[in-house]
Amino acid sequence: MTSLGTTPSVPSVSAAGLCLSYGSTRALDDVSLRLGHGVTGLLGPNGAGKTTLLRVLATAVPADRGAFTVLGHDPGTARGRHDVRRALGYLPQTPGFHPDFTAFAFVDYVAILKEMTDRSARHREVRRVLDAVGLSDVRGKRIKRLSGGMRQRVALAAALVGDPGFLVLDEPTVGLDPEQRMRFRELIATAGEGRTVLLSTHQTEDVAMLCNRVIVMAGGRVRFEGTPAELSARAAGRVWSSTQRHPGAKAGWRTGTGAFRNVGDPPDGASLVEPTLEDGYLLTLDASEVAA
Amino acid sequence: MRGVTRPAADEPLPAAGLGRHAVGGLVRALVLPVARGLPWRPLAAGGTLGLLIAAGTRLHSDGVQPWLALLHLRAAALAFGLGLAFLLDDPARHTTATVPVRRLLRAGLRVALVAPVAVAWWGAAVLLVPAEGRPPLGDVTLEVAATAVLALAAAAAAVRLWEEPEPGQATAAVVLVTGVAAPLLMPGRWTLFVRLGVDRWDEAHRAWAWVLAGAVLVWVACTVEPVRRPLGGWSRSSPRP
Amino acid sequence: MSSTVSSPRTKALPTSTPAGESPRRRLRAVLALARVEARELLLQIPVFVVLCVYVAYVGWELWTGGGEDGAYPVLQDVDRATQPESLFLGVAVLVCVNRAVLRSRRRGTDGHFDVLVMEPWRRTVAHLLSVVPFALATALVVAAQFTGAALKPGAVGTGSFSELAVAPLAVLLLGVLGVLIARLVPSAFGAPLFVVGGYIAVVLLLSSSEDTPWLRWLTPFVDEFQADPLPSDLLGRPAAWHALYLVGLIVLVSCAAVLCGGRRTLPAALGLARAARNPVAWPAVGPARLVKAVALGAAVLTLAGAVGQSRGDSPALLAARKQASVAPEKDHTCVPHGRSTYCAFPEWTGRTEDWAAVVRRVQSLAGGAAGGTKLTVRQRVDARYGLSASATLEPSSTHGQVTVGTRWGGNRVPEFSVGVASVLVAGNEEAAAAMCDGRVVTVMWLALATTSDPMASLRDVRIDDSVSGSAIVLAPTHPLEMTAAQTTVVRELLQRPRYGVTAKVKAHWTELTSPKTSTARAAELLDVPVPKGSEKEDKCEE
Repeated sequence: MTSLGTTPSVPSVSAAGLCLSYGSTRALDDVSLRLGHGVTGLLGPNGAGKTTLLRVLATAVPADRGAFTVLGHDPGTARGRHDVRRALGYLPQTPGFHPDFTAFAFVDYVAILKEMTDRSARHREVRRVLDAVGLSDVRGKRIKRLSGGMRQRVALAAALVGDPGFLVLDEPTVGLDPEQRMRFRELIATAGEGRTVLLSTHQTEDVAMLCNRVIVMAGGRVRFEGTPAELSARAAGRVWSSTQRHPGAKAGWRTGTGAFRNVGDPPDGASLVEPTLEDGYLLTLDASEVAA
Repeated sequence: MRGVTRPAADEPLPAAGLGRHAVGGLVRALVLPVARGLPWRPLAAGGTLGLLIAAGTRLHSDGVQPWLALLHLRAAALAFGLGLAFLLDDPARHTTATVPVRRLLRAGLRVALVAPVAVAWWGAAVLLVPAEGRPPLGDVTLEVAATAVLALAAAAAAVRLWEEPEPGQATAAVVLVTGVAAPLLMPGRWTLFVRLGVDRWDEAHRAWAWVLAGAVLVWVACTVEPVRRPLGGWSRSSPRP
Repeated sequence: MSSTVSSPRTKALPTSTPAGESPRRRLRAVLALARVEARELLLQIPVFVVLCVYVAYVGWELWTGGGEDGAYPVLQDVDRATQPESLFLGVAVLVCVNRAVLRSRRRGTDGHFDVLVMEPWRRTVAHLLSVVPFALATALVVAAQFTGAALKPGAVGTGSFSELAVAPLAVLLLGVLGVLIARLVPSAFGAPLFVVGGYIAVVLLLSSSEDTPWLRWLTPFVDEFQADPLPSDLLGRPAAWHALYLVGLIVLVSCAAVLCGGRRTLPAALGLARAARNPVAWPAVGPARLVKAVALGAAVLTLAGAVGQSRGDSPALLAARKQASVAPEKDHTCVPHGRSTYCAFPEWTGRTEDWAAVVRRVQSLAGGAAGGTKLTVRQRVDARYGLSASATLEPSSTHGQVTVGTRWGGNRVPEFSVGVASVLVAGNEEAAAAMCDGRVVTVMWLALATTSDPMASLRDVRIDDSVSGSAIVLAPTHPLEMTAAQTTVVRELLQRPRYGVTAKVKAHWTELTSPKTSTARAAELLDVPVPKGSEKEDKCEE
């Protein structure tokens, strides 16, 4: 396992040796990780096993092998799984909605399923999360009348209701416009204060702006675990600019200035530039392809 | 990327200016994909249950009387009609809503594809009833046709009134409750669900013909896509402001 | 947008407190969900419309008094009559609760909800409970129906609590069946097709029940095409057993739904799913053992109910029915009113005053000794062939005895008048049944002249609702036959002022009540034009 970063001193979530196969496809292959407070980004290409990992950690599907604990509870027992679910907020990749429910009724429904039984306290809590995601004005509207971004925020409110200690968000910023994306980042960053948030995404900017830790997955394995700075540092000395596309570069593209930005093993005398998180990510994926 | 290159300017676009021949070609091209997209499962379930109900006439210990066979055939028609209520369900509705081929053509093609199946089904259902117990076939066929078209009209109305891509289940619920409640709650002076051998039989079947015609009109009216938002904005399929 | 997503995490919030594992709280969560689901169910169009129509229909019946004999309800029949009307509500609830259970699958929220604290089986329990308010609403409607009937001054008899419970139980049964179907067949068309198939299955059960009556009782409610009400102790309906059967079935179906709801797929149920070979053991779902035990108990209850309701009529009941049919005087309570005596089954004694009023009215028009004859009005039923068999009562040969049935109100009143008048004229019912001469005119005029609208009553007692031509006239026992000429004469008489006709009837009483008097002669005596062809029609068919 390639762990370069400092692991959190008191992990809220820790997993060891998780394996899961769908037929002959190994979706998770010996995944171990430790998550502490704050937002952890989960990066990886399509089919890397991100969603499967999130589903396992959210107790939606059991792993074939391996064990994990969430906030000290072991979901391998009925009691433990129940306790994990009490402390869990989950935003699935494709959150469904009941279009005839109002935003309030839907989040209230989820709150009941989270066993919030005191009616007035529950309604207060639902109003609080809808207010937090900025939907207090439209909480009486039916979900089918809401725009895509608003629906996504309803789903986030449903994940946040009940103030869970462990928040699992599967690509929550997909399909949002830049402004909505900024708002979402703000929300998730706030949610990360005092909680453990695991955020799966394709967007390296999300990770760069939000996460204090990052995990890169590919082919069902963890390829990197550390801080975003450490991921960027992986590309130190391996990004350069040139006037022509460099044939030996792993990746290269013409930037807005007309110069080419190359990632890979630079030739001698290349003019190196400051690496970004994305460069580190690309190189990590490339290395894992070679390893595979 | 090669896949997204524009066609050369002198290549005619295939859908431009559809002549009669072009419509024929379009229909031929559409038959297979539409047939593949039809909700066959509910149709099969409704049809099978209908046939079972028709075959149930043979279970009556002391032979089936025509009035009892009529009851069975009406129930079988309702079962098949429930399957038809799902006919216009289209999970890809929001994708196909804006294609140039009209909804009337697309929906009509669905109905045309199911029509021979329905005819074959009805033939089988009739044959399953013992010959000595069969009620007057022409009139009962009229009732069954009216029931089927009513179910289709309900499905079309659901598509017209709701944005839902698959309103079949709600439609089936309405068709079912109507089908169960109508014969029992309808005032006695309206002749529709008459018993066999009652002198109002012919009168009732004139009424069934009217129902059939009305259902066809409703189906067409609901299937034609409105160009403008109707006055008063009663249609929920209209775009949000 | 507010920048605070959460209140400080130190604040104890409902879900994050680890201590809340108490069963009471878990139950409260289920109840809260059931409440939300019940409200959603009410707002479904079919349920809402059917409930409104049901309530409106019953309200209308209560308001208008409910048909011909609505003013004189027999409570041991009224209780049963509440059952069929609840069927529509049951069907609507079945279809819509099925939709509600499948909602999260249809909308793709399953993936999310399955990781929430409330397990799928408890969500199933909430759906099952969401049907209960509709059963309670049905119970209220039934209670209103029955109370409305019981409060009528003409009400007789006693209702059965078990019969009244059947309608709410049937709604509950259909509702929980909707949940079970959703758990077994997770597709949109399961429930509607089940309803149609179930309907035909019931038809098959009912049609094949000629020789196997126990099959009939397996259906949610059993309607009888009963001709005339019977005393409540002669009904012999196993209502309590049937209610027990329904309760058992409801619990059984509910348990099955809960057990299916825990495992969402058929492969998982068969132990074939991946979870089965998973070393991280997937915990057993819910208190499955307890549910299975309850299901077993419910199966026993259902079986007990089914056996209990299938035992058929006991010899004691058959003997009691025979006695009530052949020798009713042993069961009767007799009450004198004026000169005559009125003998009725104990539950009907309250109605003797109504009968006495009719007898007084008819007798006041009669002349000769008939005006003061002591009559015995005896209530009769024919219960020998069970509830569904309709048998006509044989005319009595006892002098001065008039038969009265168990129904009252509407056409039964002029029919009874005809019975009284024919005994006054002919002496006994057997003789009256053979009447085919001028006496028919006297009988019909006596019977109808004092009613509030004689012509309407004439139309009512004739089987074809006509006021001209020949027709059959209904009476409590054997019907009378009226020829066209007799009809003409009676019509003429009924249209004349009563006091004039009364005087003539009393004056010519002996001749008018003689079998030798022809219709033409009666017309002459009563000063009415003699209709043509009356002589030909007056021949008695032997």
